[in-house]
Amino acid sequence: MESIFSQPLFWVFVFALLFAAAFWPGRGPFWRRLQKNQRQQRVLIEDGLKHVYTFRQREIPVTVESLAGAVELNRSQASELIAEMEESALLHYGESGLELTPKGEALALHVVRAHRLWETHLADTTGLAPTDWHSQADRKEHSLSPAEVDALAASLGHPVFDPHGDPIPTEKGVDAPPSFALTEAKPNQTLRIVHLEDEPPVVFAQLVAEGLHPGMAIQLIEKTDQFLHFVGEGEERRLAPQLAANVSVRPVRNHNGVMLGGAQPLNSLRVGEEAKVVAVSRACRGPERRRLMDLGILPGAAIEVAMPSPMNDPVAYRVRDTLIALRNDQAQMILIERT
Amino acid sequence: MTVDVSSAGMPSGLSPRQPQPNPPVNADSILASVDAFRREMTTDIHEEWVEAIYGEASRLAERSVTRPDQKARFDLDRTIDRAVTSRWLGFPIMLILFTFILWLTISGANVPSQMIANVLLGMVHPWLKGVAAAISMPWWLDGLLIDGVYLATAWVVSVMLPPMAIFFPLFTLLEDLGYLPRVAFNLDAIFRKAGAHGKQSMSMMMGFGCNAAGVIATRIIDSPRERLIAIITNNFALCNGRWPTQILIATIFVGGLVPAQLAGLISASAVVGIALLGVLLTFVVSWALSRTVLKGEVSTFSLELPPYRPPRVLQTIYTSLIDRTIYVLWRAIVFAAPAGAVIWLVANIHIGGPSIAEWMIQWMNPFGLLLGLNGVILLAYIVAIPANEIVIPTILMLTVLTAGVSGAGEGAGVMFDPGSTNATAALFTAGGWTLLTAVNLMLFSLMHNPCSTTIYTIYKETGSVKWTALASLMPVAMGFVVTFTVAQVWRLFA
Amino acid sequence: MADKVQIEPIPLTSTQGGHAAAGCDGCAVHNAGALLKLGVDMQNWDYVVALAGNPNTGKSTVFNALTGLRQHTGNWPGKTVARAEGGFVYSDKRYKLVDLPGTYSLLATSLDEEIARDFILFGQPDVTIIVVDATRLERNLNLVLQTLEITDRAVVCLNLMDEARRHKLTIDDRRLARDLGVPVVPTAARQGEGLQDLLQAVHEVATGQVIGKPYRMQKEPKAIKGALDRLVAQLTTAFPGLPNARWVALRLLDGDESIVQAVRSGELGQLISGTPDVAQRQLTHQMEVVL
Repeated sequence: MESIFSQPLFWVFVFALLFAAAFWPGRGPFWRRLQKNQRQQRVLIEDGLKHVYTFRQREIPVTVESLAGAVELNRSQASELIAEMEESALLHYGESGLELTPKGEALALHVVRAHRLWETHLADTTGLAPTDWHSQADRKEHSLSPAEVDALAASLGHPVFDPHGDPIPTEKGVDAPPSFALTEAKPNQTLRIVHLEDEPPVVFAQLVAEGLHPGMAIQLIEKTDQFLHFVGEGEERRLAPQLAANVSVRPVRNHNGVMLGGAQPLNSLRVGEEAKVVAVSRACRGPERRRLMDLGILPGAAIEVAMPSPMNDPVAYRVRDTLIALRNDQAQMILIERT
Repeated sequence: MTVDVSSAGMPSGLSPRQPQPNPPVNADSILASVDAFRREMTTDIHEEWVEAIYGEASRLAERSVTRPDQKARFDLDRTIDRAVTSRWLGFPIMLILFTFILWLTISGANVPSQMIANVLLGMVHPWLKGVAAAISMPWWLDGLLIDGVYLATAWVVSVMLPPMAIFFPLFTLLEDLGYLPRVAFNLDAIFRKAGAHGKQSMSMMMGFGCNAAGVIATRIIDSPRERLIAIITNNFALCNGRWPTQILIATIFVGGLVPAQLAGLISASAVVGIALLGVLLTFVVSWALSRTVLKGEVSTFSLELPPYRPPRVLQTIYTSLIDRTIYVLWRAIVFAAPAGAVIWLVANIHIGGPSIAEWMIQWMNPFGLLLGLNGVILLAYIVAIPANEIVIPTILMLTVLTAGVSGAGEGAGVMFDPGSTNATAALFTAGGWTLLTAVNLMLFSLMHNPCSTTIYTIYKETGSVKWTALASLMPVAMGFVVTFTVAQVWRLFA
Repeated sequence: MADKVQIEPIPLTSTQGGHAAAGCDGCAVHNAGALLKLGVDMQNWDYVVALAGNPNTGKSTVFNALTGLRQHTGNWPGKTVARAEGGFVYSDKRYKLVDLPGTYSLLATSLDEEIARDFILFGQPDVTIIVVDATRLERNLNLVLQTLEITDRAVVCLNLMDEARRHKLTIDDRRLARDLGVPVVPTAARQGEGLQDLLQAVHEVATGQVIGKPYRMQKEPKAIKGALDRLVAQLTTAFPGLPNARWVALRLLDGDESIVQAVRSGELGQLISGTPDVAQRQLTHQMEVVL
């Protein structure tokens, strides 16, 4: 019997299929490439505006070089970009270097708002890892329209801070909360982490790996040139000043029940031991956090280890007369005090 | 839009105590102040509120509940829990219980299946044919309706109903007893490593009964990512419709390789091996999905271990028959009826001599052989998509049709059961089957698209064409790759 | 979408024995238009009763015991969440019983919770039975309190009393009823114990013979008290007689999108209900609190 592979009609068909796949309007690689080139300029302008906006907020002068670095262009290309932005009345040279025009500021705020809302969306309603949030939002921020951003804000319950602790601007702009770098804190001060700088990504990944997250209450013990020594969520931690510089903190007056010294993670409890829940770590957020609260795992609740599973993970806990199985990585985020 | 205060329908005497504030209060102004308040708030109101409610609940419960002075020394629930989740007993208890249920389902279904088949296929079918002849119905209408639609539907009912009527109530009893959450608890560690939820063990076990029911059973998983994983991989749990295929093929080809006294054992292990391969694939595919396409879906874990409660046996049997068995069966019948018509039509419409079926088999045969299968098998899997149960009868009918076996079968487009394993084996041999064909059919039976009932259920449950397409096409693509590889390697050495 | 049904429910309700005028004792208060949208057709029924409760409280046993085989199952409209519906006749009144998904709370953080919450809030069932596991009262009261924030037409079914006795727990159901402000009926649905009392209590609430004065949370978080009070004032001005303004205010402050939508579309105004006796009862209750 003759194989279908030797029939010319078969190959014509295969070729037609490939051709259609490559040139499919709007979807195929050919059109994507075409669209990408058109979009590129918009992305550059918006990234440039965002750079000017964030630098001005931190009161750092904006230069051609800093802008070139932010949008990954060489110096002359960056100058061209600035010229184009001036032409579109988005930027102008003011007393202290490049400044945003009202129109530029509005656009910058829109992009920043889109970025921070998207990060919140990723953190609260998807299962993506924290290290993926920023890069995803960096791409998404350019494709959201103001109406889409408003709808996003509504669907998220109008969040006020993004998962890094940055304030999410309204259409009208925003005031950054007073905060300072962890390196400027004084020993014995009780602080709350309000922001982890997500750039450069390497440093951010390291901070995440250290278990730090916005909302975490910490107490500085000691500060030397080599490291900062502090407790947070029941653990003693050390951080190099280079890393600590990317951690913004705010002093807290009452630390709202978040125990610093005596609290321990729930998974340190052994079978038959009883304890009281002190807090649920701020690293546990979104649906996961709400689920734990619905199950009655709240500050003050009595909790007891009932039994481990055959492979020791998950473990069943007795909370409010009910057996609830929790995985160890969840139990780690529940802080308890032995009773 | 604004809300007109005056039209809100309050008799004037009942207006609230508050004086009307000066600025007009409407929906927009309320929402604006909500937004402003939210920005000012320093605490998480959601959390504070839940805390406050639980605090009150605890206070009120304290007021009206009197607990015994001493804790009971012997707590039955706790003792059972310690046993069924213990390191040494946990897994053996699960394995024994589940093997017992599967064994009861497969062996216990034989007798009622045979009885239903005797009535629907052995008595009603000839009687219908007789009636058709008596009223001199045109041959094509008779064939289309009685040999096509009726036979396929009756076949599906007779092979599907008994196993499901046994499996579902047993499963539901375990569920109501409170044992199944413990299974999820025991197995979660394994499923977690595959990026899945322990409760997937429950939908997977349900899938051994019926994939469509298994897909519905994933509703117990409240985490979206893990639920999608459970839905997409449920097809790798070998369902009731495929066990008989596996057993038949293993008995004829694998059992035939060894001396008669070992045949039963060896063929049984081959079937169990395929089922275990399915479990393994479940984990591998779950793992891959959770790290690729489903990476961004939400993932949470929560599992309550409810107290043991003696189930209400009759109620359970009744509701599981109505809710699960009849429901799934009905869906299968809806899909089987038109498929029966298609099966009859492809075997009976002739284009320039051969029937459509023969044309298609001839056209697909080279591809089938490349996979170590053949055109008959591929066509059978296409036309018998409503239910895996009718794949073997369709294969047999198509084999008779194409191999020109005389004295077997009931005619073109009429599914039949040769009556004995030997007669079936003879037909397969006439169709040019080898051990490779058998092995690859067993593999392909595990890894091919879900039946149309399951596909439809997946669509209903996910509401997404994308996930339905993935769940349907991925297994068949895997089946092609695996059977192709096996065939090539086999031919290299054989 | 909401605008379309806005006027519908009142005449519909009134044709079924309920009347829009004040002083109606025993008329149905459910929102037939909203119920229809939730997939519940109230034709041929006098009252609709919702069955809420935590998972594993024997809720389905109660449901089966009350409806017998007169039930049918399906999904909630457009959702893949199972729903059972059934009915019973008590004292010549036809009751439709709708089984809500078993949930731990009503904060709408999951699909199940959203369905249960929307049904009680927008469907305004004539009675909501909250099935409670007597052996785990503390956990279950969480849902009871949340439900009572939304509706005052509730009956607490204190189920699994047989197990409570087995565990040697004594529960003072009268005190609980006094504390909660709604009827509390101890039952053991598996044995059929207490079901007649439950039906009687449901009947009394449905017909207005018993008017609940539900316990409402007194202790709100201090940090939000100011904001909450001001918002409640605004809400009661825009929607006079709103039966659960404080709860609505809390949900708004929590950023609950479906409540925001209900405010924006004016759908919230429907909660005032065609029968002002609810508003009146609410008001008398408020006055009692004041006094």
